[in-house]
Amino acid sequence: MIKALIFKEWVKTRRMFVISLAVAVAVTIYVILMMSRLVELKGVGHLMMIMLLKDNSFVDSCRFIPLLAAIAIAASQMIPEMSQRRLKLTLHLPCRRGRLMSVMLLCGVVELTLIFIIQLAMITVCDFVILPSELVARVVLTMLPWFLAGYVAYLFVAAICLEGTRTMKTVLSLVGIAVLFLFYLQPAMEAYNAMILPLIVFIAVLPLLSVGSVIRFKEGLYD
Amino acid sequence: METDVNTVISVKSLTQRYGNGRVIYSDLSFDVAKGRILGLLGKNGTGKTTTINILMGYLKPAAGKCTIFNEPIENLSPQTRSRIALLIEGHVQYSFMTIEQIEKFYSAFYNRWNRAAYYELMSKLHVSPRQHISSMSCGQRSQVALGLILAQNADLLVLDDFSLGLDPGYRRLFVDYLNDYVRSENKTVFMTSHIIQDLERLIDDCIILDYGKILTQTSVKELMSRFSRYTCSLPENIELRPDDTIVNPGKIRRETEFYTYGSRLEVEAALTRQGLKCNNLIRHDMTLEDAFIGLTGKY
Repeated sequence: MIKALIFKEWVKTRRMFVISLAVAVAVTIYVILMMSRLVELKGVGHLMMIMLLKDNSFVDSCRFIPLLAAIAIAASQMIPEMSQRRLKLTLHLPCRRGRLMSVMLLCGVVELTLIFIIQLAMITVCDFVILPSELVARVVLTMLPWFLAGYVAYLFVAAICLEGTRTMKTVLSLVGIAVLFLFYLQPAMEAYNAMILPLIVFIAVLPLLSVGSVIRFKEGLYD
Repeated sequence: METDVNTVISVKSLTQRYGNGRVIYSDLSFDVAKGRILGLLGKNGTGKTTTINILMGYLKPAAGKCTIFNEPIENLSPQTRSRIALLIEGHVQYSFMTIEQIEKFYSAFYNRWNRAAYYELMSKLHVSPRQHISSMSCGQRSQVALGLILAQNADLLVLDDFSLGLDPGYRRLFVDYLNDYVRSENKTVFMTSHIIQDLERLIDDCIILDYGKILTQTSVKELMSRFSRYTCSLPENIELRPDDTIVNPGKIRRETEFYTYGSRLEVEAALTRQGLKCNNLIRHDMTLEDAFIGLTGKY
């Protein structure tokens, strides 16, 4: 059963997953080439100086990639469920509804995690070749909130798509935009270090939004 | 809780309202016995799909109690859901899958899955197993939905307006396959359709809904034997009034048409009570569609 559910989610999202992964890899390669070129022209010392004195992580181009990947994957996964109220078919499957929802959301989260891991691995490996570990850690910690923003965006877009009423859709959209805005307020390196743990806890409770949307759908609350 | 193995669906005093508070129907009660085929008939907006949504747990009723296989519909267990095949209005399915993928997907959920039944129907469609359902015609999609229902081999079939969007050929194919299947396998069916003639060959019992109320709830055999249509000639300036015997009278030029549960003698007595003397009082054979129109009216 679980395998079949994963298969359904994969059929819906595979195209967006591949596109998102390709974009993430392309942007990461661009970032790596940019850093390599600078090292080639001016040396590692110059690169490190810019990173330390100008607070430049050189990975700024990757900032919105997790967010866009998350929106694309969530929409490709949840819009087909709500178009023609196809969610009724899913909820009619002989499987506990909590498990159904968990598998659906987990599939999206795993796909996003794969994209993030690949992107982070590429940056980390290349940075390790030219930079000391302290600076690599700074780059990773700078990127971490962007990945967390990706999970937040995914869970909000999933809940918005699954929501049947326009009013709640609007409320969720506004709250989602406001929350995501917080993740991009501070462009400085490691600006969110103190917030990482609370943000992870916050993300852990966000699936409840989708659960709420499905409960309302089950009660017939849709326009 | 009282259990009855012969009652598959039980609806007691069901009341439902629109968002603005207008009553769709109130105090709707009916049972569907094991092995029976019940058709819920009514004009658009009388609450047919609403009833199916309530029964399947996709809508919270304003009042009333419903059970399926003796389980309250609010919390149908996965085991009970596996005994119910559901056809959603418009033959909605996972159209992002191919014919092959959707069969593989559903087969993982149902122990009694009959792959051969699905592919037997698909072989009539002249489509490739790798064809996406989204690229198929409405008629072909209806056959995919029907094939999946047959393959599921459920005890109860809930079919919401299966004829929607189908041409006569596909409607006939759907009805013939379904009829053969449910009769030979002794399945219980709860269905709705707005094309009454499709149901005539299929259903044992019917409930005819009008706006806010149930007009009749009986077996098709009884309805067809008791309810009849008459025509007679009346002068143009005289109108027949509805009463206990005369149902839904209508007039086109000199010919008056009406329906009745009464016998010919009772009809004649009713006409006499209204001071009318009719020429050419004729009783006509009826189809289920005629009976439906007779009860609900043309408008």
